[in-house]
Formats: sequence, structure tokens, C-alpha cells
Amino acid sequence: MSRPTIAITMGDASGIGPEVIMKALSHPEVREMCDALVVGDAERLRTAGAIVGSTLRVDGLDDAVQARFAPDAVQCVDLKLIPKDHPFGQVSAVSGEGAFRYIERAVRIVEAGQADAICTAPLSKEALHAAGHKYPGHTELLAMLTGTPEVSMMLVSPKLRVIHVTTHIGLIDAIAKIEPGLVGRVIGRAHDTLVKAGVANPKIGVCAINPHAGENGLFGHGEEAEKITPAVEACKAKGWDVHGPLPADTLFFLAGRGDYDIVVAMYHDQGHGPIKVLGLESGVNITVGLPVIRTSVDHGTAFDIAGKGIADERSLIEALRQAVDLAPKTKRAA
Amino acid sequence: MRGDGPGGSPPLALTMGEPSGIGGELALKAWTLRTTRTVPPFVLLDDPERISALAARIGLDVPVVTVADPAWAAQVFERALPVLPITLDHPVEPGRPDPANGAAVLASIDQAVALVQSGACAAMVTNPIQKSALYAAGFGYPGHTEYLAALADIVTEPVMMLAGGGLRVVPITIHLPLRDAIDALTIDGIVQCGRVTAAALTADFGIERPRLALAALNPHGGEGGSLGTEEIEIIAPAAAQLADEGYDVIGPLPADTLFHTAARARYDAVLCMYHDQALIPLKTVDFDTGVNITLGLPFVRTSPDHGTALDIAGSGTADPSSLIAAMRTAVEMASFRASGKLSAASPK
Repeated sequence: MSRPTIAITMGDASGIGPEVIMKALSHPEVREMCDALVVGDAERLRTAGAIVGSTLRVDGLDDAVQARFAPDAVQCVDLKLIPKDHPFGQVSAVSGEGAFRYIERAVRIVEAGQADAICTAPLSKEALHAAGHKYPGHTELLAMLTGTPEVSMMLVSPKLRVIHVTTHIGLIDAIAKIEPGLVGRVIGRAHDTLVKAGVANPKIGVCAINPHAGENGLFGHGEEAEKITPAVEACKAKGWDVHGPLPADTLFFLAGRGDYDIVVAMYHDQGHGPIKVLGLESGVNITVGLPVIRTSVDHGTAFDIAGKGIADERSLIEALRQAVDLAPKTKRAA
Repeated sequence: MRGDGPGGSPPLALTMGEPSGIGGELALKAWTLRTTRTVPPFVLLDDPERISALAARIGLDVPVVTVADPAWAAQVFERALPVLPITLDHPVEPGRPDPANGAAVLASIDQAVALVQSGACAAMVTNPIQKSALYAAGFGYPGHTEYLAALADIVTEPVMMLAGGGLRVVPITIHLPLRDAIDALTIDGIVQCGRVTAAALTADFGIERPRLALAALNPHGGEGGSLGTEEIEIIAPAAAQLADEGYDVIGPLPADTLFHTAARARYDAVLCMYHDQALIPLKTVDFDTGVNITLGLPFVRTSPDHGTALDIAGSGTADPSSLIAAMRTAVEMASFRASGKLSAASPK
């Protein structure tokens, strides 16, 4: 069984990205589960490697095809953007530009069939903006680079997967925004992502908006019947194993014990809360709906500790694990 | 002088609840588990004949003893299930609520309230009721809690708290549609809820200085108003007012990071802005033994945190864990209350 190739973007070079990458790739089990192709600056990785005491060699590559995956070396598509003595711990346009270019290159690498999924180290929005790239974050940037009109946010913890119909909008606005078309597209993304990842006909539980799923209109203004049920019915008609709208208070427990492969949450806190309650860590953030699976660490650039060798690599390892888990299981057309 | 009665300390009063639901079965099962799971002595306010018949139907060997006075319950409890008789007007068919039995359902609640108010019972534990059946019988209250408040003749609205898995949550509004729950949020409502919660945590749970946390409504706590303004306009001012009144209060805090294990160490209870905000974390951390507690009543009342489960009634498959947890919680609360009253009443 061949290992999937995961393109790891180095993120903001002044943050903890280079360090957590070198630390994570020093774990034998990480090298075992995937072929890691870093997209970044080889010299920066060497600096970070020295800081964290890594013995790994870093091979700087001009092109992904040159990658020779081996236990003792890190393969890095080297964009040579970061000056040797560039400081850690500060917002800079240089690092912001780098973060942007790594993502851009990683997308091309995946499009060329040279990697199966992307795992992103954190970038600084401020640095990104200082470099002239006015995107709110990774997700929007990836959507633009791949020409994707709409994506969904999935959170994955060891026991639970959740995909969100709405995310960063006020609760009243979220209720107003939910409609069958949107719900149907999100269910579709959940279904497609899991099917590609090798889960045959995944069992999908869809949350309600109101307490007790509205108890047939007793609690609510018919939001379930109007906004959710038509989407669920349409998905069922395709033969998908979709259930709902279900009372959200009991659904997460049931999904956490294995009754469902994924839960569709209607709003941000509905999905985020249970993930954090059930997971020791906060869970891995995955953007779905892009032509490529993208997972991300759950922390930021941590400028306050960058360059000190103390950053924790576990979130990156978990993000890599989820990238491997959700990477398409049919061999890519290379 | 009740403590000197024939059965020792007063038992719990367990109401019938919806007779066609799982309440009777839960009572029977709780009794069979009285030793293995240390279920406190209780008296069931129900129809003894139908309880015996139900035991036979689901294959439980439970001797049922009719008692006229709860004082006998504790003595009887070891060998039989004590039932204080309430006559059901119509035969009970599991899974099919009959409004004609509504009067008996209410009589069971009424009598339990009288027994806890007189001190004959230590606390009341209520089995779930079927609101639709009671409405059809002319019941004029939104639910159990409002009815109890009316019977207790109190003016301050009681508060519902749910506890389980080391977490205590208090939904500010209960069975409102999400959209209406947001509209119903007021500074006064939150403050009032905070006061009742804090007072009860002290009186009923022995927490000297309760720490309250207020959950935010919007993602990331509204992010300074860019993701909603309820935090700025309603929740933060409520927190400030509670702090002014001397309560230990934090918030509004983003609700997604408020409920995991580490966060739970920071507070004794969370005031939640809507039903599911409270219920999702509670049911996720403790699906089976969550307890519903009414705060602010002149007596102790708890209940299991599930409904009548008409779909499985009569099948013998109902799980009594939440009812047993509710009974244990009721005993603990009653004992805190009693010791508080004792020390307040004892001369300096």
C-alpha cells in the first residue's frame, strides 16, 4: 500500500511553522503514515531544525518530481524567499509573501498530481495583508486559487466529524442564511469527502435548528420543515444514508459513540462545542469543497514563542493524520 | 418529629408522570437496583394495581405495598416498593396517552408537593409528563416547572438547571424556538437567573461562593460586535450587574471553548443563552445520568433529563440511570438544605 503524499505548506516563516514541521517530521510514525513534501524555504527549515535539535537533513528541491522520500531527510520544494537572518516572532511582508507563495505552489503541485492533500502550517493574516494579499485567511485564499465558489468547514477529532452549514456569522444571521440549497450542498460535501476517503455510503446525521428538532412545529417557526427537511429528502432520494433534522442535544453523543460517520451542524457553536468537549485537543480544521483536501493546525503563528524551539508539534501531527485519512483513496492520475 | 416516625428519615416522593410512558417502569427498575446502585428510599405516587400489572408485564419480580403514610416507606422499602395510591380513571395502554388520566397525573404531582411541603417527604422527584395529553385534559401551564411554581405560590420564576458529568448548565430560556430565544434575552432575565442559580448553589449544593460563567450567544463571543451585538448589548451588561451585586461571575465567554474538561474547572455553573447551548454539551459529556433540577422552589425537586419515551414504553427496555441520578441528587440537595436550615436556626 503506497503512502499518500501530503504537501505541507510552511506558513509564516517568522512563526512556529518551520519548527513544528521539523519536530513533527522527526517522529518515525509520521514518516511511516505519509510522504511529507514541504513547500517552503529549505534554509529556513534547516535553521528551525537546528533550533529544535533535529538531525534530519533538508533537501531543497526545485520541483516536486525531484522528491526522494527517505527516513533521514526532509523533502522541501524550495522557494528561496526568506533571507538567512530573517527574524522570528515579527510580522513581516517577506514572511507574508512567502506564506502566500507556498500555498499557491502547493495548489499547483496537487493539481499536477504530485501530492494527494495539503496540510497547512499557520500564517499571519497581518503579514499576508502587509504583503498585499488581502484575504481573510487560508480558506478564502485556497478558494480563490482553485476557483471554488463555496467551501465548508469540517472539524475532526478522534471520535467525531462535524461539517458546518454556517460558520463566522452572528447567530440570528446564521438562522436567516440557512436554506435547503445550502444545506444540500453541505451534505453533499460531507458525503463526497467521506466517499473519496473510502467510507462507503457514509451515515450522515443532520442537526436541527430548534430545541427537540422543533417537535413537529411545536417549538419553532417551521425552520426544520422549511430549511432542512427538503435538503435531507433530496439527498435520501440519491440513495444517501442521511438522517434528520435530528435534535442536536442528543446527536453528538450518538455520533461520538459511532452511530454516525459525520454530523452536519447548522451553526458555528453547535458543531465546535461538541468537538472540543469530546476531543482532548481542539480537533483538526479541514476545508472541504476544494478540489483538494486541506487540513490545518488548530493554532496560530505563536510569534511570542517562535524561534525558541518550544512549540508543540502535536496539532500538526494530528492535521497530517487527518490529511492522510481523508486523502482520496483511489490512486491519483499522475 | 417526622424523623421519629415508623420508618426513620422521610423518603423521596416519586410522581407517576405520564402513565403510558416509561415512568412506572423506571420506578420498578430503580427499586430492583436499590442495593446494587444505592437508590435512596422513595414512595411512588401511583396506582398500585397498575404498577403490579406493569411489573408482571415486563417480567420484574417486585412486591408492591400500598402505604397510606410515607413515614412507613423507608421501613417497607427494603422488601417492597411502597406506593401511595392514586386512582387512575382509565386503563393504561403503554405508548398511548389518555387525557382521561390527566387528573390522576396532576393529583400525583399535587400530593407530592403537599408531602414535601409538610416535611413528610424529603424531596420530590418527578417522572416525565406528556404535555400534549395534559393540554387535552385542560392543563393550563406550559410545563411541569410552571405548575410547581404555581402550587408553591412563589413569584420569582424558578430556574432549570441540568447537571451531569461534572457540568452544571442553566438555560436562560427553555423550550423556545432558537429565533425567539434570542429575542427573549434581556439583561434583567439573565441577572434574575444568575441570582436564583447562585442562591441555590449555596443552599442546595453547599457551595459557599458560587462561580457563575455566562456563555456568549454568537461565534467567538461576537468578536467585538462584528459577529453579533447581543454580547455587548445584553450579556456583558448582565455580567457587570451581577458582579456589582457581589456575585462571582465571568463572561460572556465563547461557547465553543466553555465546556471542555479544563474549562469546566473555572466555574460551578454556566448560564446558557438557549436550550441547545446548554443541552448539547451536557448530553455529550453525560448522556445517561444527566439530572434536571428546579432551582428557586421552596422544596427540592429533581427529575430525569429525558421524556416519556412513548416509543419504548411497556417494552421493558427503559434505562433508569437518569432517574436514579435524579434521586441521589435530590437526597444530597435535601440534606444540604436541612443542614443549612439547622445551622441558621440554631442559637449562636
